[in-house]
Amino acid sequence: MSGLFLALPVLLPLFGGGAILALHLWSEDKGDDRFMELLVEGLVLANSLVILWLLKNRMGANLVLFRLFGNLTVRFKLDSMGGVFAGLIAFLWPLATLYSFEYMRHEGRKRIFFAYYVMTYGVTAGIAFSGNLVTMYLCYEMLTLVTFPLVLFPMTREAKSASHHYLYYSIGGAAFAFIGLVFVLSFSATGNTEFVPGGVLDLQTAAGRKNLLLLVYVLAFFGFGVKAALFPLHVWLPRATVAPTPVTALLHAVAVVKSGAFAILRFTYFSYGAGFLKGSWAQWVVIVASIVTIVYGSTMAVREIHWKRRLAYSTISNLSYILFGAALMSPLGLAAALSHLVIHAFMKICSFFCAGAVMHQTGKTQVYELNGLGKRMPVTFGCLTVASLSLMGIPLFGGFISKWNLAQAAFDCGNQYQSGVGSWLPLAGVAVILYSALMTGIYMLSVLVRAYFPVADCQERGRQKDDVLCLEEGRAEACDPGWMMFVPLVIFGGMILLLGLHPGWLMDLLTRIGGEAGCGLWQS
Amino acid sequence: MWPVAKLMIPGICGPGMVFQIDGFRLIYLGIGVLMWFVSGVFSLEYMAHYEKKSRYYLFLFATFFATMGVFLSADFYTTFIFFEIMSFTSYVWVAFDEKEESLRAAKTYLAVAVIGGMVMLMGLFLLYDLTKTLRFDELGEAASHALSTSPGRLYAASGLLLFGFGAKAGCFPLHIWLPKAHPVAPAPASALLSGILTKTGVFGIIVISCQMLAGDRTWGMLIVCLGLVTMFLGALLALFSVNLKRTLACSSVSQIGFILTGIGMGDLLQAAGESGSLAVRGAFLHMVNHSLFKLVLFLCAAAVFMNLHQLDLNDIRGFGRKKPLLMFCFLMGALGIGGVPFWNGYVSKTLLHESIVEYRFCGAASVCPALWQGAEWIFLVSGGMTVAYMLKLFVALFVDRHPSRQEEFDALSLSYMRPAGKWVLAGTAVLLPFLGMTSHLSMDKLADLGQEFFGQTGHAHPIFYFSLENLKGGLISIGIGMLLYTFVIRRWMMGEKENENKEKGGKITHGMCYLDRWPSWLDLEELFYRPVLQVVLPGIGGWVCGFLDRYVITAPMAVFLAVSAVACRAMDQMADSVIRMARKTTHSQIPPAFSLSMTGDGEALGSRTACGVERRWGSPGIFARKRRERTRAALIRIKERIQRNGRLVEESFSFGLMLFAIGLCLTLGYLLLVFIRQ
Repeated sequence: MSGLFLALPVLLPLFGGGAILALHLWSEDKGDDRFMELLVEGLVLANSLVILWLLKNRMGANLVLFRLFGNLTVRFKLDSMGGVFAGLIAFLWPLATLYSFEYMRHEGRKRIFFAYYVMTYGVTAGIAFSGNLVTMYLCYEMLTLVTFPLVLFPMTREAKSASHHYLYYSIGGAAFAFIGLVFVLSFSATGNTEFVPGGVLDLQTAAGRKNLLLLVYVLAFFGFGVKAALFPLHVWLPRATVAPTPVTALLHAVAVVKSGAFAILRFTYFSYGAGFLKGSWAQWVVIVASIVTIVYGSTMAVREIHWKRRLAYSTISNLSYILFGAALMSPLGLAAALSHLVIHAFMKICSFFCAGAVMHQTGKTQVYELNGLGKRMPVTFGCLTVASLSLMGIPLFGGFISKWNLAQAAFDCGNQYQSGVGSWLPLAGVAVILYSALMTGIYMLSVLVRAYFPVADCQERGRQKDDVLCLEEGRAEACDPGWMMFVPLVIFGGMILLLGLHPGWLMDLLTRIGGEAGCGLWQS
Repeated sequence: MWPVAKLMIPGICGPGMVFQIDGFRLIYLGIGVLMWFVSGVFSLEYMAHYEKKSRYYLFLFATFFATMGVFLSADFYTTFIFFEIMSFTSYVWVAFDEKEESLRAAKTYLAVAVIGGMVMLMGLFLLYDLTKTLRFDELGEAASHALSTSPGRLYAASGLLLFGFGAKAGCFPLHIWLPKAHPVAPAPASALLSGILTKTGVFGIIVISCQMLAGDRTWGMLIVCLGLVTMFLGALLALFSVNLKRTLACSSVSQIGFILTGIGMGDLLQAAGESGSLAVRGAFLHMVNHSLFKLVLFLCAAAVFMNLHQLDLNDIRGFGRKKPLLMFCFLMGALGIGGVPFWNGYVSKTLLHESIVEYRFCGAASVCPALWQGAEWIFLVSGGMTVAYMLKLFVALFVDRHPSRQEEFDALSLSYMRPAGKWVLAGTAVLLPFLGMTSHLSMDKLADLGQEFFGQTGHAHPIFYFSLENLKGGLISIGIGMLLYTFVIRRWMMGEKENENKEKGGKITHGMCYLDRWPSWLDLEELFYRPVLQVVLPGIGGWVCGFLDRYVITAPMAVFLAVSAVACRAMDQMADSVIRMARKTTHSQIPPAFSLSMTGDGEALGSRTACGVERRWGSPGIFARKRRERTRAALIRIKERIQRNGRLVEESFSFGLMLFAIGLCLTLGYLLLVFIRQ
């Protein structure tokens, strides 16, 4: 019976969001929104507390919510890997909600926004708690539907086009993932799609159709990879930056895209089993795909001058770090992938929130407009500095830890092969990660350099009249945002430092998960 | 020897940090404290008129801690952490001015630091993978094991580390940041950059060469060659330079070359079965000496700059006249760095020279003795060039007269520096001859303390620095310097410079000027690095990515959309024709409630059916004409809203669902196939 609690974090926000929507239909949105803000924050906070309580007390709980038919059940389960993801979103959501109150202050239709924002929380928690592939697939589809209105929210032409793309890509990708689901179901040793560390495939039956299964794995990898913005299926992500910043920051840097990465991790390590895939051509294909995405994302980020889109490209490249770790098919790889999943969440949400704070305070969206803002908004840019250095992988900051782990995992993977693709491909991956770090240096530091060291004599150079104007304008109005935006920023910046300086506890946990999930490797 | 103390902090920053203190580190700790103290005191005066003082001091102290962290670290991981912090905090020094030139130099500095850091990290990954440890005390053993199993990888790892450390040290071909960054940084900061930050790079190279790959011949050769090239080219650049701080910066490059040569010679001598202690003692003492010279020289430059705000030799010439203290300090530095007997530079250069000579005459070099003779001559000529360019600076500052502003300069004689600055500068300058004259008492003791870090224990055979043999080397260098100065600098690098003076329309000759004879196109950074990094790499990468973006993704997407749109239309048409047929046959009695028409949305992939359903929903129907009139306005508003949103949502949904259906169909089709075949 105690398992019923597991459904609570999923259902509470869904019904809560529904209630807000109903409220919207019931009465006119009068603009007096203290009550709604309190309600939303209370809801989100309560849900986070429930999740944390579950993580503390109900590890291993299991709940069959209902049966679809036959073996297909909607099942929630709380294991340590789902726990990491759930803990992460439980930490981020209340803070991001707080941030969005201030950010959305001057927007209309707030109730709709917050209704879907809260509902997304429930669906994401559902993905974290899913106990089998069917449940995860359902939540995954639902996530698309729930977040679609958020992308559409500005209702501009751009937003409409972006939401079109978002739907096409997500649902199309899910179709491929569905193929994976069907195959896992039909080749499963237990007859269902439970997540079992080491995979559920019936190895004897599977051995006969290995190539086919590998093909399906690659298809499903790309299918789930749509949400994780795998090249060439990433197109929706840079476009989706038209959504309000809290959406871009929380959903398109953490919840949605990380759900994609998380789904791939689940699918790889808990459905197929890393042992089955290790050393096969499918592994090399997905490694190459992730490497290409890393290069592509970081290079395009350098080319991009729209700040939020630049960050979105950076997300594309960083998500593939996670996929690269996942594709190494080793316990170390899983641990490294999870560590980047957690740490990147903090770095990217922090950078997006800084971009959002600047947009909110000054209305500037392009990188070249940021001249001299560093001195006007010291805390914002201080946090951005921390996040940027961390993204680059400078020691003392969290990003370095995950990069270090990824490289170790890659070398470990490379060492297991004396010759052939396996001996050099992981090393190429490490080189690519460092190339990407260099590009990160260029595209993040150029923002900081502009902000902190404005070109002082631009008036003399004549051509930058706009810059001068911006400089003057910036001096006139820009300042750090109010506490609702300020507090989350500082907390995220602090978390990056904390994870960088004292990552032991996280890495111990993740290594343990990696060990559990990789158990199939040692058996086979 | 010196008691060794270790401090381990496990868990922090992942694997944990390890610190150690021993003779070498203690000395560098002392030098670091001295340098920061002196330049800190000097900064008080130098920075007095700047706005952003607090920023400067903040980063001054942050860099101090980071630099000390590097020197105290006892594993590469810790070194790397502090190394990176140091790179970033010292970046602020270079960019401090916020002028265009400084920002450009700062960009170069940052690029070298970031690229160096990344390459070094790759090296660390490789090394850790090979040896499973990064602790200095365990690396030697692990590396010698790795050297027997996979030498290629070990050399690759060491090479990458060398790239990272060499970039900071200013080793050729990564010295490009030094001549750019030094002239624009505040002068006390330049003193630190040149005097001690470059030494952190050398620190790393020492660990690789003397602890990891101790006595490895190949590695020794590599370091010696790099050292010789760096030493020669640095001196050459300095000789050509007409900017006070730029000359000093190039001189730093050259002196780092001397140090590297010593480190490499240590390896080579060890490989040849001799004791390398001569070479490493020389290298170590030269490190210490160079830190001190550069402190003094850059602070002299600071004194010039804070009065004149100019650094071009032609603008500042004659500034030092009638300023005996400044002249004394500069002279001490110049004599020290020039390797004049009785100053400290002489001692370390003699040791380095000795080590080359020793290797030349021991068995190992017999293969190609001419080569080593060449190396010796490069060494001596570089020493000569050092004398020449220091003489050039000295003459320019203290002997020449400024053609127009000499009186103005002379008037500054009493007020050009505050007492505190004078005291610390003079105090440091006195150290140089003191060390040189008491070489056996002071410098030998320092070397004894420091050499353990270089993997050398025991006493070297005593060197009589002032024996005829050793004096000869020094004197040859000085002779070369004098010749270079009289024949090259005075004859070729100085001349009449004619400036068009537009206001007066005529040509005004400024008398003898220092000419910049260095061909302006010959700049490694402009010629190679910037084009490669700014044009070639992003050009190619960006082009490839742009190409991918355009053709590989967008084009198939467009084709796919077009094809699926046609398919949708076809299916839609089919549904419509079924309805039409039904209407004509079985349902013909029901009049059509509305006419089917396409809404002209260019992007529309949606179905007419969907459109029709929405229409019907949107319109109130035929039985409510009266009500419709009453609520007409409201309904039209609602209708428009629903139409707008509804169409959009439906179009997207229907398309998404169609994609889903295609996936489903494919799967089901496949399953069918499988079941049929079974």
